[in-house]
Amino acid sequence: MTDSTTDTVRLTIDGIPITVPKGTLVIEAARRVGVMIPHFCYHPKLKPDANCRMCLVEVEKMPKLQTSCSTVATEGMAVRTATTVVNDAHKSVLEFILANHPLDCPVCDQGGRCDLQDFSHQYTATASRFIETKRIFQKEYFSPLIETQMNRCVQCLRCVRYCDEVMDVKALAPAGRGTMTEIKSFGTHQLNCEFCGGCVQICPVGAITSRLSMYEYRPWMLKRADTICQYCGDGCQITVQTKDNELIEVMSAQGAGRNNGDLCARGFFGYHAAAHPDRLTKPLMRRNGALVETTWEDALEYTAEQISRLKTSHGAQAFGGLISSRCTNEELYLFQKVMRTAIGTNNLDSSARYGQLNAVQAMRRIQGTHRWTVTFEDIIQADVLLLVGTNITEANPIAGLKVKEAVKKHQARLFTIESIQPAVDTISNITNLAELHICVPPAQYDRAILGLLKAAVEGQQVDQTVHNPSSEFVTAVSQALARLSWPDIEAGTGTTRETFVQLAAGIAKGRRVVVLAGQDLLRSAGGYGICLNLLDLLLLTGKLTESGCGFAPLAEENNDQGAVEMGAIAELLPGVLDVANQEARAQMGRAWKTDLPLAAGATLVEMIDRAHSGLLKGMLVVGENPVGSLPPHLEVGEALRKLEFLVCQELFLTETASLAHVVLPASSSLEKAGTFTNEEGHVQAVRPTIEPVGESRPDWEILSAISMLLGAPRDYGDAKELLTEIRSVVPGYGLLGPGPIPPKVDRAAIERYVTGGYRQDLAGRYTLATHAMPLEGTMELRLVQSLFHSGKFSTRSKGLLQIEARASLRMNPVDAARLTLGDGDRVRLSNQRGDLKATVKLLERVPQGALWFPDHFAQEAANLFECAIDPHTKVPSIRTAAVSIVKIT
Amino acid sequence: MPKHEPVLLKNMLQPGYTGSLVDYEKAGGYQALRKVLGKIAPGDVTQLVIKSGLRGRGGAGFPTGVKWGFLPKDYQGPRYLCCNADESEPGTFKDRQLIERDPHQMLEGIVLACYAIGAESAYIYIRGEFVLGAQILERALGEARATGYIGKNILGTGVSVDVWVHRGAGAYICGEETALLESLEGKRGLPRVKPPFPATHGLYNKPTVVNNVETLANLPHIISRGPEWFAAIGSPPKSTGTRIFCVSGHVKRPGNYEVPMGIPFRELIYEHAGGMRGEKPLKAFIPGGASAPFLTPDHLDVKLDFESVAAAGSMLGSGGVTVMEEGTSMVWAALRLMEFFYHESCGKCSPCREGSSWLVQTMRRIMAKRGQAQDLETLTDLCKNIAGRTVCAFGDAEVAPIMSTMKHWRHEYIALIHEAEAANLLRPEPALKRH
Repeated sequence: MTDSTTDTVRLTIDGIPITVPKGTLVIEAARRVGVMIPHFCYHPKLKPDANCRMCLVEVEKMPKLQTSCSTVATEGMAVRTATTVVNDAHKSVLEFILANHPLDCPVCDQGGRCDLQDFSHQYTATASRFIETKRIFQKEYFSPLIETQMNRCVQCLRCVRYCDEVMDVKALAPAGRGTMTEIKSFGTHQLNCEFCGGCVQICPVGAITSRLSMYEYRPWMLKRADTICQYCGDGCQITVQTKDNELIEVMSAQGAGRNNGDLCARGFFGYHAAAHPDRLTKPLMRRNGALVETTWEDALEYTAEQISRLKTSHGAQAFGGLISSRCTNEELYLFQKVMRTAIGTNNLDSSARYGQLNAVQAMRRIQGTHRWTVTFEDIIQADVLLLVGTNITEANPIAGLKVKEAVKKHQARLFTIESIQPAVDTISNITNLAELHICVPPAQYDRAILGLLKAAVEGQQVDQTVHNPSSEFVTAVSQALARLSWPDIEAGTGTTRETFVQLAAGIAKGRRVVVLAGQDLLRSAGGYGICLNLLDLLLLTGKLTESGCGFAPLAEENNDQGAVEMGAIAELLPGVLDVANQEARAQMGRAWKTDLPLAAGATLVEMIDRAHSGLLKGMLVVGENPVGSLPPHLEVGEALRKLEFLVCQELFLTETASLAHVVLPASSSLEKAGTFTNEEGHVQAVRPTIEPVGESRPDWEILSAISMLLGAPRDYGDAKELLTEIRSVVPGYGLLGPGPIPPKVDRAAIERYVTGGYRQDLAGRYTLATHAMPLEGTMELRLVQSLFHSGKFSTRSKGLLQIEARASLRMNPVDAARLTLGDGDRVRLSNQRGDLKATVKLLERVPQGALWFPDHFAQEAANLFECAIDPHTKVPSIRTAAVSIVKIT
Repeated sequence: MPKHEPVLLKNMLQPGYTGSLVDYEKAGGYQALRKVLGKIAPGDVTQLVIKSGLRGRGGAGFPTGVKWGFLPKDYQGPRYLCCNADESEPGTFKDRQLIERDPHQMLEGIVLACYAIGAESAYIYIRGEFVLGAQILERALGEARATGYIGKNILGTGVSVDVWVHRGAGAYICGEETALLESLEGKRGLPRVKPPFPATHGLYNKPTVVNNVETLANLPHIISRGPEWFAAIGSPPKSTGTRIFCVSGHVKRPGNYEVPMGIPFRELIYEHAGGMRGEKPLKAFIPGGASAPFLTPDHLDVKLDFESVAAAGSMLGSGGVTVMEEGTSMVWAALRLMEFFYHESCGKCSPCREGSSWLVQTMRRIMAKRGQAQDLETLTDLCKNIAGRTVCAFGDAEVAPIMSTMKHWRHEYIALIHEAEAANLLRPEPALKRH
């Protein structure tokens, strides 16, 4: 802290002295001493607009009353918030606001949690003096998910300002003038936006409400539970509100969680899937070829019998397991423990294998941590941000808000290397905010990063402190980069050398540089190598060891990070220790009082191969659906059919579960306790909000029961016992504080890397890969994340299905015009592997030459894709395919 | 007839003067520009203007040179000048004449102001309805650009100023300087919260000066003839120079009259505007546009300068003087203006948005003889609760007609309410309605 007299000011609020940082608004200073000044338009997230005039206060030496929401506290200021003059002013503003209000509180969903009601109560408004005719707006249909009742609106414009300032979507605007001002969406069509629900949450009255729960409750009837969203890796805190064990609505309080109360469409409108009629409610067993309902006892006993039988007859290596990274840490931990101890194999994997592992392994190798060394706060405070392959506003919308905040509020410089292009659209687009944007297909991310590295090294941007101890490494990198030719880089990326030079200079100049890498990069072929190169960039420019700087890979699934940290990965033990490391194995063996299997485990695709060849005889699949997720040419279905025993723990009867011998109904994350670890490495509590649906049980309970039947020594009574055990093997795991405490880079690891660790693959990484030229007339089909969906849960969510019910093929209008295609036209995509019929949707953000198909409906498109496996991390990449396109009628 | 030499209207009063560049140059136009650019330091130009005592002619009367001085001295990025030509105040029509009849006079003023504040871009925000004015300005700009008075490297001095005309879309509030900036940026024209002021955070968040047309039109004359000459006109030291007053209403010769500040209203109305149109004597007048409180015949000897009118309980405002003869209903007059303010309230601040609709409905009721005894108290309360409680000065403006007419002619309100009550006695009690 520097000299306090220059950074803070002292003032009094109603005589109470307080010292606040310079720039604090009077309304915030008052809040700190417990004085709540009534307001409608003020919101801490928004720039003061001072339009409602409710927060007027007296300030000594100022002749007029001042709006406390727009008045900055100054030294010696004396503020009075409750004098007769101030009270009369508040009453008069309330009288004005109530003049045209319909007073329809009995049928208003906001009733009971409405600022207007509360202030009316506070100022004991009596009979209104307003005897004129009330203004009435024509009722208009707004959207399937969001309802407006403009007669209740107080015109505070919080919704409009939120949509612009925070979301950068600008879907709402005030139309009309004076008392006829109403909030509308642009154009004559119904609202078409990100459906983040922000306007619903930020409306102080009942003017904007959710249609999903309209008229179903009174707020005081609702039971609330704070838990963590189960969609992406951002790890937002949500408050699930239920009535009689029924899901009513989701909200997130201002300031809550890592999301600060902001949500996206999936978080806000995506929760009714838990109550979907497709949910499995009873255990199923295959009898005479068909799955029929059975009892838990029969199903579990049969499962244990079959596992024991396979183990006896074929050995533990004949068994394998897969788990979804959407499970809790406790479940992921218990799963790998059951696989490794009760069964005795390392043949286990989780969906973190699809991409997250690339990032974690790269971080471990260069900076010696398996987590971010930064937090969301560091993103907000960054002065330079580089985004690579994130599509952040769709894939990780809340991390995207942190980037938007950094750029819009704090003027951070934003550089993006993405396979999207800037365009004004109904949803936000991070490249619109970029100072420099390089638009390349995912296959060229490596080339763009190499261009950036080359520009940094040639531009003498290598930090001198790095140069000294690691000059051998710097020389090797410089020599490798010198071999690359600028024309090759420019041609492949469509970007000039000058742009790379500018970008490199920008990064070198930054004081707080955060590099975000998204799933579009992590799931691409070569994702691991590109992560290493990005870390090299931070290392070379001297940023890697600086505080406030770091590498931040974004997770697709809510607990991708937890899955890796819990050791639900063939080659990793809990605490991210290598199975191959004898000491680690011994340490874990002591904790578990058993010897750990020695044989290297098979990873996801390897297990499928082994099932094919008959080496693998049985599998335990928890919440994963490899039949739907992996491309058909891997013949996952055929492989699983060959198994002698397949048991699935599932919410729904997926393609995989329908092949199983036993299907055990699992509870969703809304029905159980546990913890999730978000992409920042923050461990957060998951709490049950409703009773388990039907006879479903949490996955940890099922796993515990199976392990007991297999003779494991320990039964777990609740998820807490598991967390305690996790903490005993991974010390300090999940301290559950308000925010993550990121690890520091391990300088010893960096030392190891720069003094030889880089050698094994540097030459390969610093080579321009040759990509097969696409055949004449073909376009590149890419799987992309959609804002509104992320898999089997979202596609059973009634709210999200109302926004986007079917997959459509997105393409650039220029390409469409060339092919004489328009919105809604049907096309057939084909290549030598298969074909797909789809409906066209024009979207300017799609670069020319590319076709986008949403990831979560990918089962339909899977047969067009090839699968590339990373040689180091065994990550399968199923992202792009060359296809030809024809219009069909 | 005019006792004083007109300054701003001088050219256009010459027979045959078309306002073309040739005419303007013949009349000595653009000499101030030649005198200043590259020869007098920008800071010294500001000092000249401060010395002249010129105050803003848009309504608030803020000293122009002082306003310029508020721009940050060390700011490196662009600065802007905005010419406020959104003349929409009822009863005010001086800028229109300056624009249409002598456009180069204001353009020269704009370049001089830009030079003084270091702006290379100026925007003329012109009222949307002034279609002719916008066309004339565009033509004049074309002439000035072609001759090298506007554009890059003006007259070879290295000074560059470009000027653009931006037409408004019909909202009165866009005459408020911060709403004007919002509108110019392409947003909804709503006033901004001040501070920060446009001088530091104006157009596109850059240092900006907003000046009225008449203010800018004065600049070439101040430069050419010296600040001392200007400061000697009118009623120095606080109200210097001439002013164009727009006289309308029940007078013989409505129109624009340029007179030195400080002459009494009596002289303006009875000598310049020819006195009342008929037999009926003067009952009331608005001294400075619709936002200024009404005055009575007792105020006819008040001087037309900022301080005197303020002391009389009104304001000199935009210079629009509206005269009403005996027999005019003051309640009707107040209602007429209230209808305007109701229509134009932008809707940003609760008191003004809701209050304007409440006030206008109550006034309509009183006028329609359906008033009630408590209405006067309600009107008074509402006016008090709007004034001073809004982001911009619109709130104060909209209550001025009602407050001032209730002050001077309260009996007219009471008479209408009495009539209503008498009529009510004859009406049958309305049957209770079931809800």
